[in-house]
Formats: sequence, C-alpha cells, structure tokens
Amino acid sequence: MLRYLIKKLLFMIPIIIGSTIIIFLILHLSPGDPVNMIVGPNVTPEVYENISRSLGLDKPLTTQYFIFLGKLLRGDLGQSILQKRPVLDIVLERFPRTLTIGVFSLLLSFSIAIPMGIIAAVKRKTAADYMSMSFSLVGISMPTFWFGLLLLYFFAYKFRIFPLSGYETWKHYVLPVITVGLTDAAVTARMMRSSMLEVIRQDYIRTARAKGVKEIIVITKHALKNAVLPVITLLGMRIGWIFAGSAVIETVFSIPGIGRLMVDAIFSRDYPIVQGSMLILVISITLGNMLADILYALVDPRIKY
Amino acid sequence: MERKVGRSLGLLLVVLLTVTSFLTGCGQSSGDPDEPAVKELVIAFDRDAEILDTIKTSWFSDGLIYIHDRLISRDYEFNYRPGLAESWETSEDGLVWTFKLKEGVKFHDGTPLKASDVKFTIESIIDPEVASPSASDLAAIEKVVVKDDLTFDIVLKHPFPNLLFILSNTACGIVSEEAYKKYGDEYGVKYVVGTGPYVFKEWIKGDKLVLEKNPDYNWGPDWMENNGKPIIDRIVMRVIPEESTRRMELEAGNVHILRNVPASFVEELAGNEDIEMIRGDATKLCYLAYACDKEPFTDVRVRRAINHAINKDEIVNYLLRGVGQPAYGYLPPALKSEYYDGSKTDSYGYDVEKAKALLKEAGYENGLQLTLSAENTSEFKKLAEVLQSQLKEVGIETTIQLYDSSSYTDMLKEGKQELFIRLYSWPNADILDYFLLSSQFPYPNHSRWLDEKTDELIKKAAGSATWEERAAGYHEVQKYLIEQAVWAPIYIPDSVLAVRKEVKNFKFHPWIPQYNDGFDLGVE
Repeated sequence: MLRYLIKKLLFMIPIIIGSTIIIFLILHLSPGDPVNMIVGPNVTPEVYENISRSLGLDKPLTTQYFIFLGKLLRGDLGQSILQKRPVLDIVLERFPRTLTIGVFSLLLSFSIAIPMGIIAAVKRKTAADYMSMSFSLVGISMPTFWFGLLLLYFFAYKFRIFPLSGYETWKHYVLPVITVGLTDAAVTARMMRSSMLEVIRQDYIRTARAKGVKEIIVITKHALKNAVLPVITLLGMRIGWIFAGSAVIETVFSIPGIGRLMVDAIFSRDYPIVQGSMLILVISITLGNMLADILYALVDPRIKY
Repeated sequence: MERKVGRSLGLLLVVLLTVTSFLTGCGQSSGDPDEPAVKELVIAFDRDAEILDTIKTSWFSDGLIYIHDRLISRDYEFNYRPGLAESWETSEDGLVWTFKLKEGVKFHDGTPLKASDVKFTIESIIDPEVASPSASDLAAIEKVVVKDDLTFDIVLKHPFPNLLFILSNTACGIVSEEAYKKYGDEYGVKYVVGTGPYVFKEWIKGDKLVLEKNPDYNWGPDWMENNGKPIIDRIVMRVIPEESTRRMELEAGNVHILRNVPASFVEELAGNEDIEMIRGDATKLCYLAYACDKEPFTDVRVRRAINHAINKDEIVNYLLRGVGQPAYGYLPPALKSEYYDGSKTDSYGYDVEKAKALLKEAGYENGLQLTLSAENTSEFKKLAEVLQSQLKEVGIETTIQLYDSSSYTDMLKEGKQELFIRLYSWPNADILDYFLLSSQFPYPNHSRWLDEKTDELIKKAAGSATWEERAAGYHEVQKYLIEQAVWAPIYIPDSVLAVRKEVKNFKFHPWIPQYNDGFDLGVE
C-alpha cells in the first residue's frame, strides 16, 4: 500500500508539469495583455517595455515557463501582477472556503445518493424508484446557479433562516453545500442505481437469497460492497467537477473563494494568479483521485496494491 | 474487514471535518453588529478594485472618493468649487495657476497636508516611469512648484482651462508622500492614507472594504450641508457579484444602497415601499462605432446611412425599459455648458428609406456584409442583436462577434474591428480628445478617425483661455462630428440608485456620490 501511494504521488509530478504547460500555453496564447491592465492607453513604448520587462513578459515563452517552474520548485508561485502580493498567500487565503464547500457537498451528495440509488434499484419500477429517479432527472437538468438562487430566495430571503451572502459563519455555508450536494447527488444516485441493478442480478446474490439470508443483509452486505465500487471511481471525477463549478457557486453566494479568484484573474489577465490557483486545483483533484483509489482498496479486498 | 472499513471511513470523516473547520478559521467574526450606537452604512457593488492606489489604477473603488480629498470639488450643479485648495488664480497667459491650500488639514496618520504632497501626487501621475493610467489627463502639466507649505504653482505647457475638472477627479485625490513612500508595494493593499472624511480600516479583496469616519474632519467643501465630520460612523462596501443576490440583500435590509441598478430591476423594486429609486442623468454614452479608415466606412454616406438605420426609441423603450434616453450627439446632455444644444436637430432620425437611398448612392444597393463586435455582457449582447436586426432592414447583414473585455481591447488595438459597440462614462468634453484626436490612433482612437479638421477644432477648443470659450469651441467640434457621422450615438442610460428608507437626507450627485454630505442612517 505504502509503495503504491509513493508511486501515485510520484505520478503526480508529470501530471502537474503537463497541466502547468497547458495552462501556461492557453494563458499566454490568448489575446489580452496584463501590462495594458496596469498602464493607461497613452503609455510610451519605453515605459511599456520597462513594465513588461519587470514582469518578465518580454522573455521567450519557454524561458518564462522555466522561470515559473524553477520558482515553483522553491515553493514560490510568483507575485500577483495587479494586487502586488504573493500568489501563494492570496490562494491559501481563499482555498479553504472552496474546500469547505467541496468536502461537505461531496459528503452530503454521497449520503443522499447511495441510499437513494439502492432503494431505486431494489424497489425497481415502484413509486420509490420513479420518485428518486425523477428527483435525479430534475437535479441533473437544473443549472446550479439557478438552484442556488432558488434556495437563497426561499431560505435566506423569504424565511430568513440563513444569511444571503458572505462566508463568516457555518450558516453561510449551508445553502452553497446543499446546492452543490443535491445537484451532485442527482448524478451519483443514477450511477448507484444502475450499478446496484447489475449486481443484484448476479449469481452470488441469488445464492445468498437461496440460503435464506435476510433481504436487508443481502443488499447491504453482499450487494452494496460490489455495487459501490463504480461510485467510488466516480468520486475522483466529482471532485474535479465540484471545483470546476466553484466559480458559479461562489458568485451566487458571494463567497470569495478560489473559483471566483480564478475567473477574475482570467479577465484581468493576472497570469500568476491564474497559474497558482489552477495548480492548487490540479493538486487537489489528483489528491482526490488518490483518495478514491485508497477507498477502493479498502472496500474491495480483491484489489491489492 | 467490514469493521475496519467502517472505522477507516469514520476516521477519514473526522479528519476531514477537523481540517476544514481549522482551515476556514471558524469564528472570525468582524465588527460588532450588536452595538446599536454604530451607524454602519452598507453599499453593494458588483466588482472589487484591483488596488486602492489612485495613482496606479484605472478602476476606482468608491472607497477612494471618501479616503481622499481633492484640490477642487464639484457641487450638485457641476460647478467647480474649492476642495483642499482654498483659492486659486491664473496668470495672464494662462500658463501658471497658483493654489492656496486650506490650513489645518491633516492626513489620517496625523501628519499635516503640505504643498509638497500635492507636488508628489501630481508629479507621480505624470511621471512616465510610473505609467499611471491617468497620465494623459494631466499631460498639459509641466511641473508643480512649491512656494511654501500651503502655496504652490501648477505650471502648464499650454493654456488648459480644463485643469479644474482634472483636479476634481478621483484620480487626483491627494496622497501622503510620506506614507506612499514608506509603505511601498503595500500601499493601496494594506495601507491607504488620505485626508478624506473616512479612514481606511480593512480591505478583504473580493469581499469588502471597511472605512471608518475621520473624527478630526472639518475641512469639507463649503457648499456641502455637512462639511464637518461624517454622521455615519462606518461604511462597508461589499462585493456581491450576482445581481439577484445584491437585490435580495437590499430588500432584506442588509444592504442600504445599490449603485448602477440594472434596468430590469427598476420596475420591480419600484413597488417596494422600503426602497427609493433615485434616477438622474448619467454622464455616459453608448454608441455604435466603425473603423472610419476602412471601406465602406470611408464614405460619409454609408456612415450616415448607419445612423439613419438605428431606431433609438425602440432600443430605449424595450431594451432599457425606459431607463435612459436616446442619444443624438457626442456628449451626454448632463454636461450642460459643454453639450451642444443643436445635437438633436442636426442628428439623423430613424429613416429606413433614407438609409437605403444613401447606401444605393454610395454604390451598395446590393447590401453589405459586416461584422459587429461587442463585449460579452448581457447588456451589449442584447443590443448587438437588436442592432443586427435594425441594420438588416436597410440591407446591412452583420455577424456578431463577442469578446471578453481584455480581448476586446486587444482586438481594437490591432484594428480588426468593423462595426463595434462602445459605452463611455466620463463627465467632461475632453473625452472627444481622448477618442478622436489623430494622435490617439490606433487606440483609444478605435473608430480610426484621422481627420485634420477634427484635430484643429479640438485643439482650438481645448486650448481656449476661458471655460466659456472652451465650451463654445467644443460645440463646434460636436456639430462637425455629427455632420461627419463619425459614430452612431444610441443612448444615454439613466444613473439609477436604489436607496433604503433608513438612509436619510440622501442627495443625488451627477458624478460622485457624496456620503459625507449630511447623510444619516436611521438605526432601529
């Protein structure tokens, strides 16, 4: 197991390097220029050159990339062009807020989706199945920002149970977590259902039932452990999805997290911030996938690393 | 094995919970909301500033208006009145302006305001090495000469009656030389030091800016109802990017003032008794521009045809829902003396037949195929679609191309534009210099208008000896631009503020809201 983990961790290095190259290229090849965001339109060419040089933007792209990589190895993500602060500070200040929403919405999502998927599969073609699958259909079709606004309208504006915007207390996180958690549960529940349906048709389930094992034991003990495997694989992917969607959620609920930081930085062409926050996201998504792998091994004794 | 799995999962959960609660720093509450005596005014904005440094930004947070004072102030009627400068006089040739500062003015750090701080502020803006976005506004200034602690001369390169306007802008808020040098890169991020009615307290980027009243303040402009210390103790400027969330916060009473209320909210909020909608003329202009140095726009008949093709009333009534007015000239009428009164009569009315006839005369009877570029915001996207259908009626087919703001600027600099939508927000006629002088080519003269007569008229107006002569000169400029159909002006949006009833004595200012002017907050 330990060897596997080390192998996995080492494997992260090419992934991170690969993704930094892609981020770097996309950023620098897209139109727009950070120098223009700093200076006025009547800037003289000399001053423009000076600023460009001070930001290191005059060097060839490959050189710029290796400078970035070199700094990265020393744990330096550079300095924000517009905010004039170290990117690492800015990112670390905001990342916990995004992480909180991500972690809790995943927990919420799985704790709803797994039982729901099981019930839908076991009680196939009954009211319970139809109900949970229509919930899931609604969840998949509904845009997250709209669902978030609906929740805000009812639970924060109409009934004043939760605050409308901000991030200071745990109460501020309830609605964003529900928004992401429920929309995410919709996808996971479908996955759980189809996986469960497949498993309960297997011979060993029939054997278990023939032995006279109670249905509840058959489902929770024999079937679930096999059926949950694809859902765990999904977990790795969902982490990426949740972080990618964080910009929308953070905008609706006015939470200054990493998603909004990144979107704002893209618009103002603050390259170091975009690179820094993308990097943090890439690392957390890879770590999330690793977590999924570990869970996989814990649940499935057939898998040995 | 099962128990092991269960335990591991449980452990994982606990770890996750601990880590996240630790990371989010639970319990970091701010302020003391329970204390009833504190009058805290909350204003919501859609975006935050990048940096709170007047010298280095082109996106001014409202906070900078309250943290700093300016040499000149502008009253509700747009007259230039004393600010930090108590009095001033101009030399006969108009090249030297001598200013006298008010006595007893102190920066927030306790140091007195001196003429050297003014020199530092102005000369930093015009220093090419600093590359301030406001440098071009102050281009007429050669230097500042300090005569004594409270007296200084501004020496100009040429007569420049618009100096008072420039000095009254947010960009010319006087900063403390000592603090600016002392804090270096942290100035504008962690520290901002001015002489204004409010003191910088805290800035959490992307979240809020907190200002507290300056208890020593007693040097506000004379024309204000309250020129002493502010009545409101604290101003919190919150960033709430989503407009529906902003609106709910306002209706719930957590936000007192919204600026730039979208047209779609105006009718809906009008029904709420707790909220007053304050509308006034904005100093903005939205127009359709085109690359005048490219075919077919080199032909004035085509430019006029485009002007005739636009149904402004339809746009104002349906797109803006009446929250604005059609634009006829090149400046907003709110600029009063600078605005050319003949704009409407000289302009091109909506007339499809005339547009078609002009296109035919210019040799385009078979129609035109053009691209129409705009910034990718819901406002401009909708406008582009309406313009597309209106232009189609006269035989101009367009393909819409949308850009994010940074790419849009880049595209305009590279000169790839054909038809494009722009909106400017500026309270002075010198905006025409900025956009239309040939020395500004190719950017910001993005309509690529290279015309000797325009240069001549603008330079004559800008270099006039007095404000009146200058205004008359700019009337000539506007008349000529309308005749040449350099742009197709479309509309002037209303400036709309939504103010909750707890805010007392609020007054509309056409350019800068003055929250120090006797505004009060009813605390319940």
